[in-house]
Amino acid sequence: CNKDLTEITPDSVLTTTDYYKTAKDLDLAVIGIYSSYQSRKPTDYILLELPTDNLYRTTYTLSAGADDVDNMAITSANQLFATFWEASYSGIFRANAVLANIDNPKDYKAKQKEQLTGEAKFMRALFYFDMVRLFGGVPKVTTLLEINEAKSTPRASKEEIYNLIISDLKDALATLPAKADMPKGRVSNGVAAALLGKVYVYLKDWPNAKTYLDMVTGYGYALQTDFASLWKLENEDNAELIFAIKYIEGTNGHTLSSAFLPFGGKTGIASSGLESVFPSWDLHKLFETGDTRKAASITEFYKTPTPANSPTVWFPHVSKYEVKHLLNSSGIDLPVLRYADVILLLAETQYGLNRPDLALAELNKIRSRAFGNATKNYTPADIATAEAFTDKILLERRLEFAFENERWFDLVRTGRLLSELAFEERGYNPTTQTALKFTLQPKPHYVLFPIPQRQIEVYNPGVLAQNQDY
Amino acid sequence: AGYAQKITLVSRNVPLTEVLKEIRKQSGYSFVYNQKSLKSARNVNLNVKDLDIHEVLQLCFKEQPFTYEVLMKTVIIKEFKGEKPLTQQADMKVTGTVTDVKGISIPGVSVRVKGRNAGISTDISGKYAINAPENGTLVFSFIGYATQEVAVNKQATINVKLKEDSTALEELVVVGYGTVKKSSLTAAISKIENKNLDQIPAGRFETAVVGRMAGINISTTRARPGEAPIIRIRGASSLDAGNEPLIVIDGFPGGSLDNVNMNDVESMEVLKDASSAAIYGSRGSGGVIIITTKKGKAGKPQLNFNAYTGIAKAMGHDDWISGQEYYDYVVRYQNREYVWAGGDPSIPVWGDARRPAAYQVNPVIKEGNVNWQEEVLETAPIQNYNLSVSGGSENAKYYVSGTFKDERGTIRNTAYTSYAVRANVDLKINSALNMGFMLSPNYNNRRNLGLGIEAMVKYPPFVAVKNPDGTYPKARDYWGIVVTGGLNPMAVLDATKNYTNAMNNVGEIYVGLDILKGLKLRSSVGANITYTTNDVYQSAFGNATNAATGSAADTRNFNLINENVLSYNKSFSGGHSLSGILGASFQKSKTRATAMGIVAGSFSNDVIETLNNAVISPTLTRTSKTSWGLASYFGRINYDFKEKYLLAASMRTDGSSRFAPNNKWGFFPSASVAWRVSKEDFFKENKLVSNLKLRASYGVTGNFNIPDFGYLGGISDVYYAPNGVLTKGQAQTTFGNKDLRWEENRSYDVGMELGLFRDRINIVFDYYNKNTSDLLYLESIPATTGFITSLRNTGEVNNRGIELEINTKNLTGAFKWETSFNLTRNRNKVVSLGGVNERINTDTFGMSWILRVGEPMFSYYGFKSIGVLQDANDVANSPVLAGSLPGNTKYEDVVKDGTINSSDRVILGSFHPKLFMGMVNDFSWKNFDLSIVMQASLGAKMYNFENEYYQGALAGAMRRSLVETQWWSAAEPGDGKMPGAALSKLTWQANSDVYIEDASFLAVRNLNLGYTLPKAIAQKLRMQSFRIYTSISNPFMLTRKGFHGYNPEGYTQGEIGGLNSKPGYNGGSEPINRIYTLGLNVNF
Repeated sequence: CNKDLTEITPDSVLTTTDYYKTAKDLDLAVIGIYSSYQSRKPTDYILLELPTDNLYRTTYTLSAGADDVDNMAITSANQLFATFWEASYSGIFRANAVLANIDNPKDYKAKQKEQLTGEAKFMRALFYFDMVRLFGGVPKVTTLLEINEAKSTPRASKEEIYNLIISDLKDALATLPAKADMPKGRVSNGVAAALLGKVYVYLKDWPNAKTYLDMVTGYGYALQTDFASLWKLENEDNAELIFAIKYIEGTNGHTLSSAFLPFGGKTGIASSGLESVFPSWDLHKLFETGDTRKAASITEFYKTPTPANSPTVWFPHVSKYEVKHLLNSSGIDLPVLRYADVILLLAETQYGLNRPDLALAELNKIRSRAFGNATKNYTPADIATAEAFTDKILLERRLEFAFENERWFDLVRTGRLLSELAFEERGYNPTTQTALKFTLQPKPHYVLFPIPQRQIEVYNPGVLAQNQDY
Repeated sequence: AGYAQKITLVSRNVPLTEVLKEIRKQSGYSFVYNQKSLKSARNVNLNVKDLDIHEVLQLCFKEQPFTYEVLMKTVIIKEFKGEKPLTQQADMKVTGTVTDVKGISIPGVSVRVKGRNAGISTDISGKYAINAPENGTLVFSFIGYATQEVAVNKQATINVKLKEDSTALEELVVVGYGTVKKSSLTAAISKIENKNLDQIPAGRFETAVVGRMAGINISTTRARPGEAPIIRIRGASSLDAGNEPLIVIDGFPGGSLDNVNMNDVESMEVLKDASSAAIYGSRGSGGVIIITTKKGKAGKPQLNFNAYTGIAKAMGHDDWISGQEYYDYVVRYQNREYVWAGGDPSIPVWGDARRPAAYQVNPVIKEGNVNWQEEVLETAPIQNYNLSVSGGSENAKYYVSGTFKDERGTIRNTAYTSYAVRANVDLKINSALNMGFMLSPNYNNRRNLGLGIEAMVKYPPFVAVKNPDGTYPKARDYWGIVVTGGLNPMAVLDATKNYTNAMNNVGEIYVGLDILKGLKLRSSVGANITYTTNDVYQSAFGNATNAATGSAADTRNFNLINENVLSYNKSFSGGHSLSGILGASFQKSKTRATAMGIVAGSFSNDVIETLNNAVISPTLTRTSKTSWGLASYFGRINYDFKEKYLLAASMRTDGSSRFAPNNKWGFFPSASVAWRVSKEDFFKENKLVSNLKLRASYGVTGNFNIPDFGYLGGISDVYYAPNGVLTKGQAQTTFGNKDLRWEENRSYDVGMELGLFRDRINIVFDYYNKNTSDLLYLESIPATTGFITSLRNTGEVNNRGIELEINTKNLTGAFKWETSFNLTRNRNKVVSLGGVNERINTDTFGMSWILRVGEPMFSYYGFKSIGVLQDANDVANSPVLAGSLPGNTKYEDVVKDGTINSSDRVILGSFHPKLFMGMVNDFSWKNFDLSIVMQASLGAKMYNFENEYYQGALAGAMRRSLVETQWWSAAEPGDGKMPGAALSKLTWQANSDVYIEDASFLAVRNLNLGYTLPKAIAQKLRMQSFRIYTSISNPFMLTRKGFHGYNPEGYTQGEIGGLNSKPGYNGGSEPINRIYTLGLNVNF
């Protein structure tokens, strides 16, 4: 009689005791890895764009700690770093759980096991790539850890993490099917090649970078002629998107479109917005006349939907992800890797391999796509020195990937963090033609974000070392 | 000291020698007699109070075969040699009426002539007629009343008033699985009887008992119809497993006060210390509240009708500004913002293109005079009717009642309606067997609020409530960007139909068997069945997405219990008495829940509001089932020696499905002792101290509110959209723990009960120390495990405090005045958090709550403000937060590093009150009675987010008290404390003490004035009694100057409920209501 009462099994909840048994289970578990990345992605801009000179906070509350990030008062207690760290390791865990249980099922279809392994490894590499770029060497976890093991696992070196990323991506490249054989929004071999190329650029390993970046073209990716078309719901899954995280309005949407939308909403877009951040004048003023990316990234004037006779006012706001959506549940896919990125990375690679001519050619592909013609193309004189080339690459990447979370990484890896972020011009008043200049005071050690204090505290004492100067 | 010549003595069938001993003790008289000859003495029945010794002796020897003589202070007893004392004299007829002290006649009272066996009973109107000797004695007896003897003395009419049997100390107190005489209690238990509690207009049971017991803090955090207050017994100790007491309704553990109707309540006992709660084992940690409902009594049927009706008025803020004053404020506000942004404030505020739209002020706002608070609040009617019938014979007793309660909310479109029936039936089959059942079906319906009050009252005053065509205008219809884009609050209120229905029944059937003398078995099967539904529909005009929306959810719970208790009770010679219980209990709960949502915007029209008029959403619709089981064995033993030394010990063992495989069974022992000092021989009776008891107890209780299957690593559904198709994936979302167990609460209590001046003053004092360890705690673990937290048993919290209850009978004459006062001081402290020393939880809007070893749980944590930065110079020369501007708060540089950053944060107080008190004063004069209930709380701090919200970014309505104190410029610095509002820096000042306010209060919770019709008149109207009463709830409340909330107990984020709790947060808790009622209570 007692056993009926004390030993009950759940009716509605799957548990670790009855899961990871079939091919279907493992497939669902792989979806779980994507889901993890999908949910982190929409708020990445708070750490990757807000501290830079691209965005600044409005008076609307965003999230605790965002003020400090915006004003470059970076501390290890800031919970935004902890949230990012935790979300990323949650994704890594899901990938590890798939890899740890991949041999359980006996009912795989042909190549299915290889495909799932490849996806898990790719996603693990993607998470680690973010982590190593933000925090440096982090604990290298490739198995399922018990709490005590975890508490005594210290940080690995940056090299060890990069080695893991590279080996995972190479495995993924070898085992993943081609794009045509994979559902949109799940990775294929071309994605692995592109990311591998990007990783090598970060390592300034130009020959390897070239090998893999060159490979990407062969998988059938291409630039869209119209930059603005990249941000249209009807043009999702276009050939320029090597890998985009997919969303569905209403049932599986993201908050990014709403975050950038004025509070009062916009006719045809959404009934209201969160107005969390505004684009800085710093970035805004860099768009030259004729650059089609400006209108696709920033909208300058705004008219509230009501009253009907309301005036149109100067109110610059980010419009890159501005599609019709339900508040906080937008369906526009968020790119992780675009072919444009591969082209600009290739430009850097060629420059690194001492082929400025080829570098210029790549750079100008982006330039001429943006302006619709070659009139604003750079000339060899523009990139005569390495400094000058870096200036142009940074500028072009900033304009091309505005609000796509590349700016912070680019500033760090080119060593430009301190020089570029000394000031930020924020709100601009067109009548007085002045902008509010804000002093940011970045510190040299900001090239790595602090290891979250609340993570350090749960480790055995002294195990999880803090980055320098925090 | 001389001896009293007056004797007070109660003896029932006591040997004469014992009685004489007692008389000797009280009077100092000595007795001379022959032991042998006294063997023929009859036992004595006496009930005298303050009677002269000579009269007492007469009574003692009246029926004895002895006579006596008094010489000085010596009584000599001799054998009686004369005639028999009771010679047959002629009987006479005696008639009369027997009533209780209130004058209500008692039917069924046994009346007999002393010395004769035969007797009669009073009739239904309490009348009797009997033949008795002229010098005989009549004996009146009735269960529950003190037996009374009256000498006939040739009177033909003798009217008798019977007193209730229980002096305060003889009163029975319900403890777990039994009752104990109050004088024999060894534990800290508070008891409240429902005298007139059902005549206090309170929508809920808890509200009526506010302020009446020490150690029990009942906070009305939300003044919404039907909303349950928070009850804390001796402080909160659990982080994640809840701190709610276990509710036991007529023996059914795990009920809800939702199902308790005050009209049906006989008494409420609160088991406060672990020694008394330990009999409930793994569920006793938060204390135990035992509700005993009314039972039928043998006699003619009693019909009681209780009704009251009245109105409630909300107590709102009285300082909203409008019209010109509001316009002036917005102009200053916008100019200040503009200056901060580097603008020139001399540019006209409206119609000049040089000034950005975001800093302009539309003159339309001068025209508005709408006070939204007045619009959304209304005077609301309340009513409550209860009809009950009780009665029965010795073999079948019943109590049946029906209640209808209707409470409209003072915020428009909110309401609570309840229908309840109760039936308690007890049957005696034969001398050994009895059985009975209890049923209490009830149904209630709540209409909930669509929008928080803070959002409604902040709406700009220039917006009309309604357009002439019946539509609702919005702020943005008048003016863009600067004002809120939110909908008209009245539109949301009118459009939102959010109903929660609950159907509940706590029922039980039992069989009792008297096995041997003193040995009884009680076996019962009970069930608590609840069925709750929630239906929401919001019309398009009241929804920000401009499309109708809706949802539906049903939850069904079936909680079944079987309990078997064997009880034994025996007195041994020499003054030993022993009682004990042995029991087994088996409980199982099954819950099934369904939730349904719709695809956004899919409602076809506004006519049909159920979800069949929309497309059901696949991700928002699900069913789920869960269950738990509990097997328990328990026992208790009570030992008592001469009512002087009392000892109790209990043990329970619980096996729960919620505990992990390694820890299936828990043990919960307790022991307590008491010493009634005043019963000792050496303790001479004196005028000052009439009762003194010392007691001490120790016990272990548990908290089993672990999630069902919480020890298993759970796999949850997660979603992704490959190919743009919503696809379900799965992922492990909780980290399993095969050692998961209950929280353990070890506590001791020492208490003293003191009666002074013949118990006119009764004092109960308790000190307790309660340590809760193995806290069910979502412990932070390295994220590299894949999880941030894991449900574990770590950490420890201590609550210790003192409780004082003083009950006094101040005046006992025609004008009576009784006071009961209670005071509680509780100190809450985190002892351990497992591996870490502190955990900080920061709210989106900036405030942080900290768990730090050595500090009260969830203290506020942030910057300490020391003024306002006055100008650029001040900013440059003070330690400031990065980005500070003139008008921002200046903070204390705690670590003295020349800048303000997160390391300068300190503890800023907490929501825990330092002291809380209650006082009830009862007055009566002739037929009038008045009761005043007061409650006070000192030292609690509230984080008044409400203020921050009003001061927030968008121009909405504003309170004068929040304008006047602000910083405007160096020339107009305000009160020096309140920074310039509505900066982008609000998050910073939110993480400081700027919005922390002292929530101490003193409130008169209830005034109840009644008039009882004189008995004679009532009886002419064929009533037993008739009381008419009027009541005012919350007639008076005093809060600290500078307190801005609607309700000093108004915590909108609840109390402690997990690591991310934000206790003390007030985001617009609804105004409390002043309720005026008129009621009547009639007894037939």
